[in-house]
Amino acid sequence: MTLGTVINDYRQAVFDTDRDRALSIVRDAVESGVSPEDIVFKVVIPVVEAMMKAIAEDYDNNLAQHFMTAQISAQVTEEMLPLFATPPAIVGRAVLGTTKGDLHSLGKRIVIGCLRSLMVDAIDLGVNVAAETFVEQAVAHQAQVIGISAMMMHTAQGADGCLRVRALLAERGLEDKIRIAVGGAPFRFDPHLYRAVGADAWAPDGISAGRVIVDLIEQVRR
Amino acid sequence: MITGMDRLAAAIAGRAADRIPVFCNLLEQGAAEVGVSMRAFYQSPDLVAEAQLKMQARYGHDNVWSLMYVGKEAEMLGCRDILYADDGPPNVADFILKSPDDIDRLTIPDDLFDHPGFADSRRCTEILRAEVGGKTPICAYVTASMSLPALLMGMDKWLELLLMGPFDLRDRLLAKCSDFFIREIDAYRKAGADILVYSNPFGSTELLPMAMIRDLAMPWMERDLAPGGVDGVVYYCGSARFNKVIDLVIERLGIRAFYLSPLDDVAAGKKAVAGRGLTFGVIDDIKMVGWSGNETRAEVRRLIKAGKPGGRFGFGTLLMPLAIPERSIQIMLDAALEAGAQDEGEP
Repeated sequence: MTLGTVINDYRQAVFDTDRDRALSIVRDAVESGVSPEDIVFKVVIPVVEAMMKAIAEDYDNNLAQHFMTAQISAQVTEEMLPLFATPPAIVGRAVLGTTKGDLHSLGKRIVIGCLRSLMVDAIDLGVNVAAETFVEQAVAHQAQVIGISAMMMHTAQGADGCLRVRALLAERGLEDKIRIAVGGAPFRFDPHLYRAVGADAWAPDGISAGRVIVDLIEQVRR
Repeated sequence: MITGMDRLAAAIAGRAADRIPVFCNLLEQGAAEVGVSMRAFYQSPDLVAEAQLKMQARYGHDNVWSLMYVGKEAEMLGCRDILYADDGPPNVADFILKSPDDIDRLTIPDDLFDHPGFADSRRCTEILRAEVGGKTPICAYVTASMSLPALLMGMDKWLELLLMGPFDLRDRLLAKCSDFFIREIDAYRKAGADILVYSNPFGSTELLPMAMIRDLAMPWMERDLAPGGVDGVVYYCGSARFNKVIDLVIERLGIRAFYLSPLDDVAAGKKAVAGRGLTFGVIDDIKMVGWSGNETRAEVRRLIKAGKPGGRFGFGTLLMPLAIPERSIQIMLDAALEAGAQDEGEP
């Protein structure tokens, strides 16, 4: 089994939202001698990036594919990491949650799955998260990014959400150390909204959010 | 005098009227309209109906809504925890399906019309029927079997079950949700609703691949709609685009009215409907929070210009967040009434 075959077969399984087939392909590949490092860095991450490219170029893609890409990628990465010869370097750390008054959890779950496969330590703060908690947890975990999900207009732009997180970062002099990324339906319908609520960046979907957050981490670390 | 119902009937039939139908969903704005808190508002069907009637009279659009709030459907099935906000709609705070056993324990009331959980929705619809029935289309919001589980177990858990199984459990849940849909749409019809907005984000290619819509979602939609038929039913996928499924929906379900996503291309949507039904072009009203009056006016005119030629077209709104200034609402509706005017003989 060549690495090229593994990549192609795995990509097709992920794009078909077929988790069982995808897992079987990587397990067989490891069995036949492909290293766990190659599975993560040459198979899983390139397929996440292929999905990002498909989204950016507006190919036919959908939420089911985004969800399954994140789930499968995170699961394969989790299985492979203990098998690495040496632990991989972590790109950075992000704390993520759904904003105060909002109980939607899907977007955050996709982002976290995607980030974990991209070697970002992603910490899930849950739903209905207070602004103070976002900041306290980011500081406690030395995170470079706070990711805030909001699926309703009043929670996206409300005073208890991202606006408050921005104010708290400013008050505590943390704006150079911690960036804010936002996502959720209201931001898709108004691509300028992220600026109005004080975020540094936004993403139109959970998969693209992975790249956006990695870029923010790199900005902080520079 | 020509009524909203006349305009809607004319647009469906492709006949001329004084203007196209203009639909607007002002919901949260109702609390201030009747001078109560958001929580008090949403707990009173009388106030919800009163606000609908007042706002329709003031702004001049063509419809009223019997919708209390979307979480009401979860309440009918046992949800007891609703999160209220001062500046937005109530939200389901506790999902009733937490385990596979919960799915098997879920029971659907045989008769929804007389069920206590439907009482507020029924009361609101009946008040509207008594006040404007036959003159102003009364809209009801009914969630499709394929989308209802998201309200009962959360969107991520539903996607997990939908895509990863166990599939026999998924299908048992869908059968129950479809039974609920059949009884709910029947109850709304009995109460006096004219327009049944069939809400199904999972009927959009933004959520599912086309093959899955054709092979999985469509049979459940057929099951939902077969008993009561599609009279008054409007296909709607939340904010998700669905131009690509219009042909399939007409062919398999027979639905003849489409409420597009603001992200859909209106002209392409009309082209897909191809004279076989009514298309609503929908404004991206989230942007209205920050738009100037001129920007709002220009967008309304652009949408209507794209959709009105050839008739069978209406103008609609999506969410109408509370943060939209009242003046912008007036500007939007004035622009729609003006740009939607039809010349004599114009279909």
